[in-house]
Amino acid sequence: MATAVEKGASGAAVWVDDRLGSSNFIKRSLNKVFPDHWSFMLGEIALYSFIVLLLSGTYLTLFFEGSSREVIYHGAYTPLKGIPMSAAYESTLRISFEVRGGLIMRQIHHWAALLFMASIVVHLMRVFFTGAFRKPRELNWLLGVGLLVLGILEGFAGYSLPDDLLSGTGLRIAYSIALSIPVIGTWAAFLVFGGEYPGGEIIERLYPIHILLVPGIILGLITAHLALVWYQKHTQFAGPGRTEDTVIGSKVYPAYGAKAGGFFFLVFGVLTLLGGLAQINPIWLYGPYDPSQVSAGSQPDWYVGFLDGSTRLMPNWELRFWDYTFSPNVLLPTQVLPGILFGLLALYPFLEAKLTRDRAYHNLLDRPRDKPVRTALGAMSITFYLILLIAGGNDIVASIFHLSINEITYTLRAGLFILPPLVYVATKRFCLSLQRADDELLHHGIESGTIRRLPSGEFVEETVPLPPQYSVLLATTPERKELTSHGAHGDHPAATPAPRGFFRPRGGVIEPAPEKAPDGKELEGTVD
Amino acid sequence: MTSTRSRFSGYAVLLLALAMVGGLYTAFGAPKSKAADGANQSIAIEEGRQLYLQGCSTCHGLNNEGGAGGPTLIGVGASAVIFQVESGRMPLAAGVAQAPRKKVKYDRTQIDQLAAYIESRGGGPTLPKGRLDDGDLALGGDLFRTNCSSCHNFAGVGGALTRSKYAPSLKPADERVIYTAMQSGPENMPRFSDNQLTVDEKKAITRYVRYITHEAKDPGGAPLGRYGPVPEGLVAFLVGIGLLIVITLWIGARA
Amino acid sequence: MSDSIRDRLKAPAGHGEQAGGGDTSRSDVTSGDFVQTDSRSAHGPGQTIPSPSATQAGDGGTGLVGGGHLSDDPKRAKRAEQAVAALFLLSLVGVIGFCVTFAAWPYEFGERYFELYTPLLGIFMTLSLLGIGAGAVLWAKTLMVDEETVQMRHQLSSDPKDREATAELLKKGFEETGLPRRTLLRNSLLLGAGSLAILPVPFLFGFGRFQHKERVLAKTGWKAGSRLLDELGRPVKMGDLEIGGAKTVFPDVPGGRRLADSAAFIIRMRPDELKVKEDRKNWSIDGHIVYSVICTHLGCPVKLYEQQTHHLFCPCHQSTFDAADEAKVLFGPAARNLPQLAISVDADGYFVARGDFNEPVGPSYWERKPHYSEPKYNAEAGS
Repeated sequence: MATAVEKGASGAAVWVDDRLGSSNFIKRSLNKVFPDHWSFMLGEIALYSFIVLLLSGTYLTLFFEGSSREVIYHGAYTPLKGIPMSAAYESTLRISFEVRGGLIMRQIHHWAALLFMASIVVHLMRVFFTGAFRKPRELNWLLGVGLLVLGILEGFAGYSLPDDLLSGTGLRIAYSIALSIPVIGTWAAFLVFGGEYPGGEIIERLYPIHILLVPGIILGLITAHLALVWYQKHTQFAGPGRTEDTVIGSKVYPAYGAKAGGFFFLVFGVLTLLGGLAQINPIWLYGPYDPSQVSAGSQPDWYVGFLDGSTRLMPNWELRFWDYTFSPNVLLPTQVLPGILFGLLALYPFLEAKLTRDRAYHNLLDRPRDKPVRTALGAMSITFYLILLIAGGNDIVASIFHLSINEITYTLRAGLFILPPLVYVATKRFCLSLQRADDELLHHGIESGTIRRLPSGEFVEETVPLPPQYSVLLATTPERKELTSHGAHGDHPAATPAPRGFFRPRGGVIEPAPEKAPDGKELEGTVD
Repeated sequence: MTSTRSRFSGYAVLLLALAMVGGLYTAFGAPKSKAADGANQSIAIEEGRQLYLQGCSTCHGLNNEGGAGGPTLIGVGASAVIFQVESGRMPLAAGVAQAPRKKVKYDRTQIDQLAAYIESRGGGPTLPKGRLDDGDLALGGDLFRTNCSSCHNFAGVGGALTRSKYAPSLKPADERVIYTAMQSGPENMPRFSDNQLTVDEKKAITRYVRYITHEAKDPGGAPLGRYGPVPEGLVAFLVGIGLLIVITLWIGARA
Repeated sequence: MSDSIRDRLKAPAGHGEQAGGGDTSRSDVTSGDFVQTDSRSAHGPGQTIPSPSATQAGDGGTGLVGGGHLSDDPKRAKRAEQAVAALFLLSLVGVIGFCVTFAAWPYEFGERYFELYTPLLGIFMTLSLLGIGAGAVLWAKTLMVDEETVQMRHQLSSDPKDREATAELLKKGFEETGLPRRTLLRNSLLLGAGSLAILPVPFLFGFGRFQHKERVLAKTGWKAGSRLLDELGRPVKMGDLEIGGAKTVFPDVPGGRRLADSAAFIIRMRPDELKVKEDRKNWSIDGHIVYSVICTHLGCPVKLYEQQTHHLFCPCHQSTFDAADEAKVLFGPAARNLPQLAISVDADGYFVARGDFNEPVGPSYWERKPHYSEPKYNAEAGS
């Protein structure tokens, strides 16, 4: 049996290789090495969520009708019987209540969209704080920023399609934002919506954009993103043997592949868990869109929330000159701000390289503490973003905690300018003190707990030198490299396994280095 | 299915009740019954007056004229009493910006007596006879979204107003409280007269509110408070990303 | 830096072990006609990196560290295998449960227990996916040989000679086209190909109807004499609203409720609470006042009305307007008052509009003139 299978497989392989000469490529691919670290899997979440989005989205297109044609509802959901609505909304109700597996697919699709965006952001933070964007990976950083922006647009388009009360409110805001563009605003808005709001064509237009155009571009960019990771090879943290010129990790085949494949199913499983057990976007409760109706607590999905927040915090500045109206109260928070934020994000690798005059290749990742300015800038940006995000839900905060919405708004307005600089200073100082702790370890070793009394009567605690497999982790600056390579324990730490852990070498008690470390094998036990 | 059935059973009960009332009417004769009603009414008013003097007069005055602690109650009608007392808002515990819902102090009979008393003092809106929750569900939904959801949210869970005022959740409110709230317009809530929303329309809204707050199932799983995208985003990060990071840690850890 | 990489760029353990090293042994760039300058030809295979790892590379995998697999402990390996198998079988259970639920459980709205359909599907689907996923990971972690392997990075930048050759090639080819010399050809090509950029522009005109922006945006469905209809199409008359009442109203035109810019809000307060200036004296009647519900900020319906404070509050971005005082902005990002609709009462006691709103409704736009329809009001003020 096994031989028959083997025979068949080798026959097929020969057939293919005769035509494509693929063996060499496959051999090299299967032997490719990927470094192992939990944080390197965050981007995979986004990739797998996207696959789930394609699968679930395809199922939904089979039943969804992207049309704003008005119909009277006669479906199964009795509380809306006889109510006029768009065909898009009616078909979404049908998917939810009359199609087998329809509601769970809708919910998986929506959760996958939220997690797609969330994992992109978390992945972006990992790449940022570890400096993985540096030369030669700036292009991939740009692709990533492009994916982030496209993801937001794609998500907003999808959120708008069911034409329920919430999404209609969102579309109206989008139209109004377009109107505010100086000079061409009305033209742009009328062009996109097909006339004065609601225009009657926006659903019809968003539908192909959402299911064909943007996903196609995203798919292309993801392919390029992965191809670059593959070609340029993944970054890794410093460690024994882990230098700028090496990659240490698992080979794609079989172990890494099995883990990555398993992780796909685990991500899919988490999405089905949420899709089945956590109700999302209950459009039947929102009701069909009606321009004169609105619900308290109208919010966009979280990834647009920071723009809603900036809009809420903005003072009501509007200028009028000659016969024209200029609206910074809309323009600044909804267009200028994201333009600046995403622009800075895209340019960051180039700015940093320019300001630090760093033109070197970097395949080893930084520990965030070793780049205090970058880490502090990142923490500052996250603070800024979080305040905007909270402002986007300020009415829910006010409602749940019975606070004054006006005072929340004033507080957040002030916080938006006061907190980020404070966080910058605090983070930088924190990084520096962590560095000093590292220096302390390198210079003086680990406190052993043994107290010794000096002849003079003074008590001192004895320290044990840091074992080489840890000291190499800390050797992140030239001075430290000096220290570790010429120090007592700097000789050939490479053959020892790398201790793992994002922020600190893990493993609780760091035992003193054994008397001799012949080939590293004996050290394994002390590490993990 | 269930809701249709319950609506039909509602009609059946209503028909039965009407038939019984008709039967009783013919059996006992109209004038006599009217007189008995009148007698009952005056007893109720007197009982209500006693309750009022004990529980309410400190703030609202011995003759309902109002005072430092509370507004005049002349002409506010039975509905205002039912709303305020049956939702536990009155008697007020302390001077607060917005009366919160509390434990109800009086039973249904006492509330009706209080209401009868206040109604005798200058009239005002009162509850219609018959069931309050047998209105048209779909009509109620449409009217709810036009008139109510802007403050109380699409699912009646409430929402923020200006300066720490809020539209309360509708879930704890029974039919009488929902209906009388529309009639009496408590605090900052607008008032919906019978000319503006007819009795049937108010009943439809009451029906819809009771439906979404009590009967409506959540076929998609946990409703996440029905607050919309904010809790959804939180769950995406705390549960979704949280779980997946735990999984990556597990995968990344060496055996 | 580039140089140092090149210096240190060596194939891993020699031993003819290019297979183990993957693309360390060969550049990923197939350079075609270029001079071979990739790492292999530059340094040749078989050079070893001065690293202890090389000393262990005899197994072909340049293995550094055993991945903690259990093959050396049959008992624990057996247990791990059983755990993996249990997880794989969990998938089977999940799939069966999913199929049965999918086909047999009531799923239509209103059917008994239909609300459990999606959660059950979710649970079974999750079981089937987590089973296979967790099983695969556990398998890889416990039973597969997962050695840490060293691979060398290849030089990313091309050899300077290659760069020059490429640049030369491009330059030569460009010269062969004749473009640098033949200016007529070059200019006509630029013009012709450049004009292609205009080709998509006419399509844009198909997207929007040509409308007189100002007229379309500045005007709504309200006309002098149109009655105020409620959401069910009934005209609103004097006395329908009590003091403290408020109501959404629409113009008396076909499909009035669907007009996105015309919805208005009639509010009744005590006449003494209403601050009426001389120029708006005839716009409200007996404490009844009508404003546009479309927020002047981003167009959400402003319908959160607080009848005691007379605040109108927008649920989208919290702009607050004072309904008692010409809907002035009290808070939030909106810059302008809500437009007001002047009303009167017709012979039958119904409210009618005296014209359109006093200003264009809704959010601001470039060409917006604050008093587009004001002359009309003056003309009607006497009637």
